[in-house]
Amino acid sequence: MTVEILAQRNARPGRDEEVDVVIVGAGPSGSVAALHLARAGISVVVLEQGEWPDYDDYTGARPEHELVSTKLWHPNPNVRDNPNDYPVDTSTTDINPLMFAGVGGSATLYGAQWMHFLPSDFRVRSMDGVAEDWPFTYEDLLPYQLEIEREVGVSGLSGDPAFPPRGAYPFPALPIGSVGLRGALGMEKMGWHWWPGSNAIPSEKFGELNPCVRRGTCLTGCPEGAKSTTDRSHWPLALKAGARLITRARVKEVETNDQGLATGVVYIDANGRERRQRAKVVILCANGVGTPRLLLMSGGSSNPDGLANSSGMVGKRLMMHPFASVLASYEDPLDSWRGPFGQQVYSLEFYETDESRGFVRGSKWNCMPSGGPVGVSGAIGSKVYVAEEGRFQDFWGANLHENVARRFGHSLIWGIVGEDLPEESNQVVLSKDLVDSDGLPAPQIVYKVNENSNRLLQFNIDRCLESVRAAGAIETLVSTPVRESGWHLIGTTVMGDDPKRSVVDQWGACHDVPNLYVMDASTFPTSGATNPTATIMAVALRNTQRMIAERRNQKVA
Amino acid sequence: MAKEQAFFALADFLIPAHGEMPKFSDVCTYADVEKSLDFRIDLKEGFARAIATDASTGVEAHLEKINKQDGEAFSAITTVVIATYYMNPRVRALIGYPGQENVQYDSKATQIYLTNGSLGHVVARGRKYRPTPGL
Repeated sequence: MTVEILAQRNARPGRDEEVDVVIVGAGPSGSVAALHLARAGISVVVLEQGEWPDYDDYTGARPEHELVSTKLWHPNPNVRDNPNDYPVDTSTTDINPLMFAGVGGSATLYGAQWMHFLPSDFRVRSMDGVAEDWPFTYEDLLPYQLEIEREVGVSGLSGDPAFPPRGAYPFPALPIGSVGLRGALGMEKMGWHWWPGSNAIPSEKFGELNPCVRRGTCLTGCPEGAKSTTDRSHWPLALKAGARLITRARVKEVETNDQGLATGVVYIDANGRERRQRAKVVILCANGVGTPRLLLMSGGSSNPDGLANSSGMVGKRLMMHPFASVLASYEDPLDSWRGPFGQQVYSLEFYETDESRGFVRGSKWNCMPSGGPVGVSGAIGSKVYVAEEGRFQDFWGANLHENVARRFGHSLIWGIVGEDLPEESNQVVLSKDLVDSDGLPAPQIVYKVNENSNRLLQFNIDRCLESVRAAGAIETLVSTPVRESGWHLIGTTVMGDDPKRSVVDQWGACHDVPNLYVMDASTFPTSGATNPTATIMAVALRNTQRMIAERRNQKVA
Repeated sequence: MAKEQAFFALADFLIPAHGEMPKFSDVCTYADVEKSLDFRIDLKEGFARAIATDASTGVEAHLEKINKQDGEAFSAITTVVIATYYMNPRVRALIGYPGQENVQYDSKATQIYLTNGSLGHVVARGRKYRPTPGL
């Protein structure tokens, strides 16, 4: 039975039907919650503002790929301009938030880099005296991380000395290719850490996922159906288990009763009609921008500052991982259009705090191919290496041919992800004048890259240049901080034990509204410096299993 | 026809012949350009402005002007020019680009970094993480 038939069979609930759980968002965390709740016999409805992906729309295997993907599959919703997305007011931010609305969520356009947070990420206050410790530890979360890896179909190589010992990955690591080997060579010359990339891309057939063919278009949708996204890894199973999924359903408000308990949500359907979904429990999985936006839009006149916001922390402490990139070109051919695009190797050499460097916390580096000729030209499409004051002639005419000859097929990119420390001044608020296609207020991002991040990025750029030059680079180009890099939206409904300083408890339950949960990266007290999807899904699984175990004790309206 | 001539003058300035690489108009037709615009209808208005403006001051000065005064038009014409050029099969053959290809591999093959000692050096350098039990 196909996913489409299952989706039709599991029709929309009746007008007055109350379900056990309604989930907002069918991305990584919402999908995990839906699958495991449905398997436990709990009635679940998921509301997703986007649609099912149509894999024929992914252009990676077609000649027009570089032309089309820079619009249709751009990760910035303001550029993509799709009515299923909401616009974001970015007039007050140094970094643009990136996201995608659809079944599978923003992972539709992610690089599938699969990294656990490290032990110290959960203990930054105890170890480094900054921010807050998490309410649980690396060891607490590890069993859930490993279970999620099996559900997702992760490929990788165990034994990395940057992590505590762990079991084998479900699938062998993908080939690291000439790009990965050259990246590793530079690290080896410096005596620094590197490791073959772990990716949410099975190297062999796994369920609905096909083996990766290294097409290298992960960031613009995988036409092979090889990159693991929950439309393939989780939703076929969730639908079979009885979960119901309603697409093109934009939630505008979480409703509560006089006792302050959630009673369901109000959403706008594909036809523009306002509908209500009653539920005993509401779970928000709408990402670090969408979740606080929805809470700020909810609460009515009795909660003018938004729902679940007695702490005043909803929307605050936004973290987006300031990001720098170093492109390095070599004389030798590296076949640098071949994938996987996420990470062929990574390095955690500078992950942990060393106060002699002038900043706290650290970074993760990931080595990627540089892509097709349009992207590496520096002329257009990828504008990250073009200075605002640059002359256009520098990138056109004979210079275009020479830039492409030097870089295309001969270059790699090290991406440098810096840990972002939480600051209350970095936040999501509601725009006063920008609205989405349904007239709901758009989120506005207020965000500045702080001094710690600037120092961190510059230190890492300098080290990265040493590494690529040690491996023979003949040209290097640096971009920092990359404006279009806000992939990781973290921290805006922080978890904690103190209701005066946090929005949710360690299980994702709102202190103010005990049957309202948040299960996306909004709850993370700190950001780590690794790609967060693995941790997002593991925390969602931990919370969901706790919810199932405690279902008889759940307070409901 | 005047529109096409105006366009090719701009396109050939942006992508002239160089070494063994052909200039834009040697390999791309206006039909190719229109096909690109059909893929990116969002660029049509800016593209039309870029080629409609009086270019009597010279091609380079005209491009300089729209780059400074109409970024959307400059972005539209340059995007269409470069994407159309590098979609061309002859150009791809010259630079050795097969497109984003399907590459077969043996997932169980022993990787070279496991046999040449390079990953062994990483392991030999010892633990990198900071343990946290008790914290």
